[in-house]
Amino acid sequence: MSDSTTIAPDRVEVQAPQKQWQGQSVPRKEDKRLTQGQGVFVDDIKRHGMGYIHFVRSPYAHAHITSIDVSKAEEIKGVYGTLTGEEVASLTDPFFQLATPPGAHLKDYALALGKVRYVGEAVVAVVAETRELARDASELVEVEYEPLAAVVDARNAQDDGVPVLHDDAGSNMMWESVYEWGDLDAAFAEADRIVKIKELHFHRFNSTPLECDGALVEFNRGTGQWTIHTNNQFPGFAQIMMGPALHCGLDKLRFVTQDIGGGFGNKITSHPQLVACCLLARKLNRPVQWTEWRTDFHLSMSHGNERWFQDTEVAVKNDGTLLGFRTKALDDAGAWLRYEPLGGVIWAQVTPGVYKWRNIRLEFTQVATNKAPCSPNRGYSRMQHLWFTERVIDIVAHELELDPVEVRKRNYIKTEDMPYETPNGCIYDSGDYSRMLDIALELIGWKDAAARKKEAASRGKLLGIGIGSTLDSGTNNFGQSRMINPELQFSGNNEVATVKLDVFGEIVVTLGTTPQGQGHETTAAQVVADILGCSMDDVYVRAGHDSYWNSHAGFSGTYASQFAVTGLSAVKGATDMLAEQIKRLGSVILGGVPVDALELADGTVRIKDNPEAALPFMACGAIINANNAGLPEDLDVTLNCRYVYRPPFEVPDVEKKFGNLTLTYAAQIHAAVVEIDPETGHYEIVDYAAVDDCGIRIHPQIVEGQVMGATAQALGAVVHEAFEYDEDGNLLTPNFYDYHVPHALDMPPLQTGYIESPSPFTPLGTKGMGEGGGAGIHSVCAAVQDAMRGHGDAIVYDSWNPYKRVWEMLQHPEKTRALVEVVDA
Amino acid sequence: MNVEGERTFDAPRATVWQVLSDPSSMAQTMPGVESFDVHDDRRWTANVKIPLGLGGLKMKIDMEKTEEREPEFASMHIKGKGVGAMMNMQTTFLLSEAAGGGTQMKWTADVKIAGPVGSMGQRVLQPIVNQQVQHVLGALDKQVQAAVVKADKG
Repeated sequence: MSDSTTIAPDRVEVQAPQKQWQGQSVPRKEDKRLTQGQGVFVDDIKRHGMGYIHFVRSPYAHAHITSIDVSKAEEIKGVYGTLTGEEVASLTDPFFQLATPPGAHLKDYALALGKVRYVGEAVVAVVAETRELARDASELVEVEYEPLAAVVDARNAQDDGVPVLHDDAGSNMMWESVYEWGDLDAAFAEADRIVKIKELHFHRFNSTPLECDGALVEFNRGTGQWTIHTNNQFPGFAQIMMGPALHCGLDKLRFVTQDIGGGFGNKITSHPQLVACCLLARKLNRPVQWTEWRTDFHLSMSHGNERWFQDTEVAVKNDGTLLGFRTKALDDAGAWLRYEPLGGVIWAQVTPGVYKWRNIRLEFTQVATNKAPCSPNRGYSRMQHLWFTERVIDIVAHELELDPVEVRKRNYIKTEDMPYETPNGCIYDSGDYSRMLDIALELIGWKDAAARKKEAASRGKLLGIGIGSTLDSGTNNFGQSRMINPELQFSGNNEVATVKLDVFGEIVVTLGTTPQGQGHETTAAQVVADILGCSMDDVYVRAGHDSYWNSHAGFSGTYASQFAVTGLSAVKGATDMLAEQIKRLGSVILGGVPVDALELADGTVRIKDNPEAALPFMACGAIINANNAGLPEDLDVTLNCRYVYRPPFEVPDVEKKFGNLTLTYAAQIHAAVVEIDPETGHYEIVDYAAVDDCGIRIHPQIVEGQVMGATAQALGAVVHEAFEYDEDGNLLTPNFYDYHVPHALDMPPLQTGYIESPSPFTPLGTKGMGEGGGAGIHSVCAAVQDAMRGHGDAIVYDSWNPYKRVWEMLQHPEKTRALVEVVDA
Repeated sequence: MNVEGERTFDAPRATVWQVLSDPSSMAQTMPGVESFDVHDDRRWTANVKIPLGLGGLKMKIDMEKTEEREPEFASMHIKGKGVGAMMNMQTTFLLSEAAGGGTQMKWTADVKIAGPVGSMGQRVLQPIVNQQVQHVLGALDKQVQAAVVKADKG
C-alpha cells in the first residue's frame, strides 16, 4: 500500500446565506435577451471594412505539400489577401508543447507547413470582402500534394513500417507513463477469481455545440495589441499558447467573449485559428472574421479522445468484492497535441471510480494518428476511464453470475468514509452513492424488472436494465500537469470576480468566466443578492469575459466543472468584501454606529435595532464615487472589490503520482431500461433515470438542465454519434447528415432525481457539475448487455452501440465472448 | 474503392482495342465531358462535370497510359482535381476472344477519392460510381458498334 497521504483541504465554515435567492429556480437573467434574439454571439460582431476568412483544408489524411500557389485567388477583385504555412513559420514560433519527448518535439503551427496530417487540416487562409467570396476564391488556391499512407488505427501506430507522422518526434508514440498504486501482487494473491478482458474500446465523438468556433480580430498598430472577440472558452490557456508563438506579452492579446452557443470543452483549443486571424489582421491592416463551418468543425476541431483498454485483469472475490485491476490504456490523440497529453493524467482524478479499489496499475500510452486532434470534450478523459470501470463492474457481475446492483453496493465507497482518500491521493469530498442508486432504481421500477422482462419477451423483445455510476470531478489542481511533464510550472487554480457599488446604487459584477449557457449571470446574482440583502434585479452581471476588465486570472474560463466552486467562490469573496465596506461606510455616515450593529437588508445598510435608520445603497454609491469630500482619511472604502478565489491545493507528488487533483466530486447514477428487437438489433430506451448530486444547488432548474443536456449528449454518443474514418483517413461523418445528434424526439422518457451532499471544502457547499453525462453511455451499454444475457451472453465491448453492432453481437456473441476469460486465482 | 467487372462486345478484339486506345472515342464515353485535349498518344486531359448531387462535380482529369500490350491489356493512371474532391484511379482492362464470338473485356479500377466528396464514403459513392460505370460501358458499346459499322462501310 502507498505510504503517502494527501493533506485534505481544510473544512470551510459555510455561513448560512439568507437563502432568499439561492436554492430558488428564479427566472434566468440571460433568458430574456437570448430568447428574444438579442444575444451577441461572435458572428454577430461586425466592423467597418472587415474581411472574412476561409481556410483551405487538406483533402488528404497524410501528404507532403509540394507546392502552394495563391496567385489566382489573390487576383480576384475583393480578395484582400492570403496566408500560408511558410508565412506563419516565418512570423511565429511553434506552439509550446505540454509533453515530454517525443511529443515535446512536435512543431505545431497555425497552418500546415510542408506536410498535412489529417483531412481538414488548415493549409492556407484566404480573406475577402464577403464570406462567400473568400470561400469561392479559396477554390483557386492551388496546392499540390504527394499522398502518403495514413495511420488510422492507434493499435498499429507503433508497428514497424508504419509511416511516422512527425519526423521531429521520430515516432508515433507521443507520451507514455505507468501508474501504479497499492499492492497488485497481494491483491491478485488474495483474489478468488481473475476476470480477464482482452480489449475494450471507447470511441471517438464530441459533444457538438450549436455554434461552431469563431473570432473577430482587430489589430491596433499604435499599441501593437490584438483584440480578439471570440467564443474560446478558456482564454487563459489560449493566451499562454498564443503569446510565445506571436512573440508578444499577454497584455497584447485582449480576449473578449460574450454569448457563446455551447462549448463542452471543444472550444478550448482554437488557438491555431486565432493566431492565423491575428497574423491576417496585422498583415492586411483590417479586422478579420472567421466563422467556422459545421463541416470544418467536424473535420478539424477537438474530437474526444478515442481509447483502448487492453489486457485488463481484475482481481475479485467470489462475492464480487473488487480488489484491484491492471490494464493498458492506449489513447489516440489524433494528429497534433493541442491540449494533450493532459488526458494522460486527467483520468486519474477518478482512478477507482466510485469504488473501493485500492490496488491499481494502468499503463498509459498516447499515440498520434492521421485524424483530427483530440482535446477536451465534456467529461474529458474521465469519461473514458469511468466507462472502463463501469464496464468492468458489469462484466465481472455477468461472468460471476452476480447481481450488478449488489456488486455496486458492495464496492461503492460509503458515505461514512467521506472525505475519502483514493489510492492516488485524491480526496472525494462527500456523497452517498448507494442512496443515489436506490433513487434511480425506484424511478425506473427496478422491483418489477423480472416481470417486465417476461412481458417484453412475450412481445418478442429483449429487455435489459443497466446502471451507470460516475463522478464529475471539478475544480482542477493544475499541478497534475507536472505528472505529464515535471518541468511545467502550473499548479492550483483560480478565478476572479469584481463586485462594485456604482454611483446610482447599481451593483455590478464582473467575472473572468466564459459562460456558454450555464446561467452564470443568474447564479452570480443570486449569491450577491443574498449576501447584500438586496433584490437580484439590482445586480447586474456583465456577460462574458474581457481581459481589459482586470477580472481574470491565469485559469479564468469556463471548463472542467468548476464555476459553482471557483466562479461563485470568487463572487462570494468579492461580495463579502463589498458588504464589509458598505457597513464601514454606513458606520461613518450613520454617526459612528459600530459595524457589528449594522446589517444589510432591503437594499440598505441599516441599524439592526433601528431599521428606520438606513442608508440606501444608492446613497452609499453616490457618496464614495461622487460626493466624497469630508470623509475620514483613514476610511479605506472603494466599494469596488476584486477577489481572487484560490482553491486549497498542494503540488502533487510527481514521483509517486499522488495528490489531490480536484477539489470536488459531484456524482451521477443513471439507470436505463432498453428493449431490443432481436431480429434487427434496433433498440429503444423505454425508461431512464438520472440522479445527480452536485452538493448545494444554487439554482435547481439550471442543474436539472445540465443533467438533461449531458444525458442527451451521452445517449447520442452511445447510440448514434461517432467520428468514423475509412482506411485512407477520410472522415465519414463530417456533418449532421451522417453524424446524428439526438433531437427531442430521440430522447427517452427521462426522470431526474437528486440528493445534496454539501462539499465541506467549498465556501458555498457547492460542487462543480455538468460533465456527468457519461453515465448515460455506461448505463445503456450495461442495459444492452443485460438484455442479451441468456441470449448468447454477448459482452458489450465498445462505447458506441448503434443498432448494427447490437445486431452483430446477437448474431455472433461468440466473437465478443472471446474477449473475456475467468480463471481461478 | 475497388470496382471491377466484365463486358462482352459484339465486335472483333482489334476493333475494341482501337476504340479503347483512341482518345477521341474515349472522350465520348465519359460522363459530362466539356473539353478534351490529347497531349500525345499516352497522355490526355479532360474537363468533365460528373453528375453528383444538385450541381455536378467539375473536375480536371489527367490520364496517362502506363502500360499496354496490344491488343489485350492496358493500364492507366487517372488523376482528377476538382472543388471538394481529388481523385486517384488506377485502372486496367484485359481483352480476350469471347467463347461465343466477339470480345470479352475484364476491367478493374482502384479509385481513391479525397476531400469532402471522399468523406461521403463508400456507402454513398458506390452507387454513384456503379451508375457512372454503367454509363461509360453503355457509351463504349455504342462507340464499338459505330467502329464496326465504319469498318464494314470502309
